Amino acid sequence: MSTEARIGRLPATEWDGGALPYRVGHRKLGMWLFIVSDAMTFSAMLIAYSYARVSSDDWPTPFPFFPSIIFSTTMTLFLLASSFTMVMAVKASAHNRLRAARRWIGATMFGGLAFLVLHLIEWEHLIHDGLRPFRLADKWAQDWPTAPPLFGASFFAITGLHMFHVLTGVLYLGYIALRIGKTRHEDVEISGLYWHFVDLVWMFVFPLIYLMSVDFKG
Amino acid sequence: MANENIRDLLKRSDMILIGVCVLLAAGFLLLAGKSAADAGNFLTIDSLFFTAVCLLLALTFVAIPALTLRERGIHPLRVGDEVTPARANEHVHFEGSTRLFLYVLLGLLVLTLVEVFLAYIHVPLSIMLTLLIGLSLVKAAMIVAYFMHLRFERMSLVLTLIPTLAVCICLLFIVFPDSFRTREIRATGTVAQPPAQAAPSQGH
Repeated sequence: MSTEARIGRLPATEWDGGALPYRVGHRKLGMWLFIVSDAMTFSAMLIAYSYARVSSDDWPTPFPFFPSIIFSTTMTLFLLASSFTMVMAVKASAHNRLRAARRWIGATMFGGLAFLVLHLIEWEHLIHDGLRPFRLADKWAQDWPTAPPLFGASFFAITGLHMFHVLTGVLYLGYIALRIGKTRHEDVEISGLYWHFVDLVWMFVFPLIYLMSVDFKG
Repeated sequence: MANENIRDLLKRSDMILIGVCVLLAAGFLLLAGKSAADAGNFLTIDSLFFTAVCLLLALTFVAIPALTLRERGIHPLRVGDEVTPARANEHVHFEGSTRLFLYVLLGLLVLTLVEVFLAYIHVPLSIMLTLLIGLSLVKAAMIVAYFMHLRFERMSLVLTLIPTLAVCICLLFIVFPDSFRTREIRATGTVAQPPAQAAPSQGH
């Protein structure tokens, strides 16, 4: 039998076209691929920060329990709760309970906004102390005299990029909530995926940036 | 009523008035926020008064369109629970109960508190880092599997996404050992040389 004839008799699989191999549709797959690429961005930034930290023998660990660790832990709890409310929103949308879905999305947005407000207050404390991207706070010179001036750059860049993702997420969720009567359930799921990704990144940023810089004296 | 276009139900002059009121309300809200943020000490009579007046004016300008729309029975944002045309032909699958998600949330909260506790006890750095990153990986896995639903999706999707990310992160770590060398150079000004090779190369 010729090769061409034999090919025609191969069993049709889901990879032959006309089916959804991943069963998720192209929009959701697109969001997943975006999430993987964004995760690589954050990984690169966190690894660069870790490199800078390991290669220096003096790195500031300035976060006192109050307010920094309390604030950042509260922010983490808010973000985790908002992930839960987002799952509830997707569940409500799956059962076509659109008003409930809208309320759950509202709760998620509230969690995100609370996170942003607390985080900005945190930033304001540090900036007030004199921290800049390439200059350490003056009072840190006593405790960490030979520290490289990179604390500010790494802190503001990583947490700032994450804050930008939270802000964009809140706006995206607002748009989905407003148009929930006209969008598919898939769109609500996709916005949920983005929001959980934002939470996921914070799971790594929080220990590496905050918990590793705890000030034992404070 | 919910799906009708607002433009069908209002005259153009009404739309302009509503737009102006919303803009003014937003403006006063921003002014209130700015005065609160700029005030050195917020709890003075002056700043409280100014903020309160701005908020009151913002409320007034929001109330005008809100009451007008309500009076005419227009609810621009109302949504009913009926199946909309966009959703009618969708094939929806959602596995997982509220109880499952609550358990996952509880686990995440507990692990977070464990991590915070860990930051305050004195263990060797390598152990602390291993535990912190390990716990974060567990939390990340829980979020990805349950909240992002990957546990209930096709294995082909899981195998496409997760190994991609894992391989790329491992590649990023290739330069990491150089940080030890940099640290040593900073500390001692030189790097410990490996022992000299056995025989010098011939014929050079």
